Amino acid sequence: MEGDGSDPEPPDAGEDSKSENGENAPIYCICRKPDINCFMIGCDSCNEWFHGDCIRITEKMAKAIREWYCRECREKDPKLEIRYRHKKSRERDGNERDSSEPRDEGGGRKRPVPDPDLQRRAGSGTGVGAMLARGSTSPHKSSPQPLVATPSQHHQQQQQIKRSARMCGECEACRRTEDCGHCDFCRDMKKFGGPNKIRQKCRLRQCQLRARESYKYFPSSLSPVTPSESLPRPRRPPPTQQQPQPSQKLGRIREDEGAVASSAVKEPPEATATPEPLSDEDLTLDPDLYQDFCAGAFDDHGLPWMSDTEESPFLDPALRKRAVKVKHVKRREKKSEKKVMERKEERYKRHRQKQKHKDKWKHPERADAKDPASLPQCLGPGCVRAAQPGSKYCSDDCGMKLAANRIYEILPQRIQQWQQSPCIAEEHGKKLLERIRREQQSARTRLQEMERRFHELEAIILRAKQQAVREDEESNENDSDDTDLQIFCVSCGHPINPRVALRHMERCYAKYESQTSFGSMYPTRIEGATRLFCDVYNPQSKTYCKRLQVLCPEHSRDPKVPADEVCGCPLVRDVFELTGDFCRLPKRQCNRHYCWEKLRRAEVDLERVRVWYKLDELFEQERNVRTAMTNRAGLLALMLHQTIQHDPLTTDLRSSADR
Amino acid sequence: MAAEEPGDACSSSAWRRRQEVPEKPNYALKYTLVGHSAAVSSVKFSPDGEWLASSSADKVIIIWGAYDGKYKKTLYGHSLEISDVAWSSDSTCLVSASDDKTLKIWDVRSGKCLRTLQGHSDYVFCCNFNPASTLIVSGSFDESVKIWEVKTGKCLKTLTAHSDPVSAVHFNSTGSLIVSGSYDGLCRIWDAASGQCLKTLAVDDNLPVSFVKFSPNGKYILTSTLDSTLRLWDYSRGRCLKTYTGHKNEKYCVFASFSVTGGKWIVSGSEDNLVYIWNVQTKEIVQKLQGHTDVVITAACHPTENIIASAALENDKTIKLWISDC
Repeated sequence: MEGDGSDPEPPDAGEDSKSENGENAPIYCICRKPDINCFMIGCDSCNEWFHGDCIRITEKMAKAIREWYCRECREKDPKLEIRYRHKKSRERDGNERDSSEPRDEGGGRKRPVPDPDLQRRAGSGTGVGAMLARGSTSPHKSSPQPLVATPSQHHQQQQQIKRSARMCGECEACRRTEDCGHCDFCRDMKKFGGPNKIRQKCRLRQCQLRARESYKYFPSSLSPVTPSESLPRPRRPPPTQQQPQPSQKLGRIREDEGAVASSAVKEPPEATATPEPLSDEDLTLDPDLYQDFCAGAFDDHGLPWMSDTEESPFLDPALRKRAVKVKHVKRREKKSEKKVMERKEERYKRHRQKQKHKDKWKHPERADAKDPASLPQCLGPGCVRAAQPGSKYCSDDCGMKLAANRIYEILPQRIQQWQQSPCIAEEHGKKLLERIRREQQSARTRLQEMERRFHELEAIILRAKQQAVREDEESNENDSDDTDLQIFCVSCGHPINPRVALRHMERCYAKYESQTSFGSMYPTRIEGATRLFCDVYNPQSKTYCKRLQVLCPEHSRDPKVPADEVCGCPLVRDVFELTGDFCRLPKRQCNRHYCWEKLRRAEVDLERVRVWYKLDELFEQERNVRTAMTNRAGLLALMLHQTIQHDPLTTDLRSSADR
Repeated sequence: MAAEEPGDACSSSAWRRRQEVPEKPNYALKYTLVGHSAAVSSVKFSPDGEWLASSSADKVIIIWGAYDGKYKKTLYGHSLEISDVAWSSDSTCLVSASDDKTLKIWDVRSGKCLRTLQGHSDYVFCCNFNPASTLIVSGSFDESVKIWEVKTGKCLKTLTAHSDPVSAVHFNSTGSLIVSGSYDGLCRIWDAASGQCLKTLAVDDNLPVSFVKFSPNGKYILTSTLDSTLRLWDYSRGRCLKTYTGHKNEKYCVFASFSVTGGKWIVSGSEDNLVYIWNVQTKEIVQKLQGHTDVVITAACHPTENIIASAALENDKTIKLWISDC
């Protein structure tokens, strides 16, 4: 069997449409333009469509019109008169509806707003209960039923119950006068305290003959299930990117009906309206709902399209015939829409099966009305009492006992199964642990190294201190330096003499730094570490200072330097070579080696801190791997999962070549 | 792949004689992996062959060892059923498509969700990485195909691909093309860089296409339609080369796969609880694997060994590992 592949498609395959306003588009109105994106009204005699702007009829006015004939037709045939709606019904509609949907009255045609807007408006009005009202926006958008035949609206009870497309007037449901107040539709009504999102007649008052299948009464709907359209079809126009595509598609479906309508068959309003229930606008309008939905807070039962009893209402042929003519957006004609609809029906049935399949577990048998007498027996071992309603046990104890028994019974078997064959994940885990441990080892050696340096440094400093002060020419060496150059301090910006630059900058920096805090909530608790962090507690921010203790300008003041203390900095030749000699100048005077001990100590400390960080990281990794390993073979995992080995000889599926 | 010479021997056969054509595989059941609490929707082997990821209607993804069948890890995070899961080429990341309209990218080692990709307006049904693992393509019930960037999580392109739910999306082996199949009966091939539709294959009378996939060599497309037929197409010419029937597939989107590690087979699940294996060239059924107690929704082939993983729906909830000599 061969199919045919075609090359880059002409637009009607669903690509970006080019012909919406292209050469072949039909033209309308007195202006003879193909533009259909504005409000239009159709003449009921010549079937020509006119732009509202061109003939000076606004949407609002049109709302009130029941039958409209264009000027030409009226001139030709004086009998034709523009007929307006009954004042009362217009009022009521104004109150009820929030968008100008097509009203189906006995005669006349009126023009609804072009598709996408209609969708969105209608959708936003009704269906920010988006999930709920996915399909339900459509019916009441276009269905005549709320409009015409609402006996509940009229105060006087009529003997003859009004008939309409959705009410036969004769069945039990049509005869009811009061809303039950308990069904999902009623609970949505304002008068029963609902959010008025669904806006349908009481379930018990849905005509048994003519109402949509999904609206009719069935027992489970008396629970929180919100009824609506069936799931299948593309419920909403495609994604947020506003491409001509979405409206196109809707247009296609819509004007399927439109096309058929224009061939003088009265199409059912809902048939067309259903596909557009929700647009993305609706969703974006209510991020909260979306969040709820995503977070799983959304009650599954509320999802309309999961109801099992759906059929594709918009394709109900019976309804098609009986419904009233409806105004449609006139779009491009499309061939074989009927076939498309039929095919869609099949397909939707098919993949509704998949949904149904999903539904089965989504809707576990919730016996809403549990008969107390028929409560099952508690499942606890040896227990003969009845279980609590909604539970499998009579009490917590029984549940625990049963669970314990289960564990005793099943666990040994599972442990054995687990140990039957080597677990590859375990091996991986072990390798990982090995690696981590090795890294930890190397980190520790580095740490020891650091400690050694630390001690060394201390020794040097000590030794240097023991030198005697020697004021010699060296001190004057610096004076011969040219002191005309001025350096600008990096902290305060003032010009300073280079000789004292170092000293000044150190002090300056300390001054500014001491005004800021740098700390964490936790005191340092490292074993075996001598001074590292400052750790001074700051009661205001409740933190411990985490600067290096030797460097912290905030919390340690440089001790006053006694007059006879010697600088003691190990002198170097060519930056790196130690000469073994020490600077003999008194500390107060020495400008070259200002604060040298502090800086050296800080260097060493910093290295140590780094190594500790690394160790910490490795500890963390190790912990993670260990927990994963234990959990994998832990009680919970073993109870939840099971690997049955059918061939005891094959423990590893890898072929021997690869192992 | 279908047009390559049929004379390749089983890779794992000790003989490796060039002329030997394996007649039939002898897959036998080795492991049954129990652990999901609801229907399993998809199983995939990791490209390095170590792990098997399974997604399920119980909103979790479980990772099992591919060779020992043992449980490794569970990934939690989705709020609704997961329909599909796919591995990145370096086997460190997974992407999952869920009914909560999001896709999630997971880091397998830590088990954490790295990113959540939001943007679809209806169930996300299928997902896949590109070979470079820089992009993710996803198909959804909102009839669109979206291309996402892995690093940033942004949606790079939205292709209004079809007029019905998109049932499968797949990158070819170079990552330059995307094939998408949908319930509207069309199979479309897109250019991954520009998002242009290059070709449309109308399968036949608009039967819903439940699965599409490129062949490993990228020359052919395997499509599965809901009339219990698998077809192998040469898409550049738009001709159907082979047809595989005998199984039952009328309701569900059943995954199919190419098995190239040993003999060249087509492996598919079926609604009659069996796993079907066809010879690619001769189109005859060479083996039917029995063992599941519900519709076998997915069958995946290991990248290097002759191992098949199959999973079934609600009634069964298990994953079975089968191994063969050739």
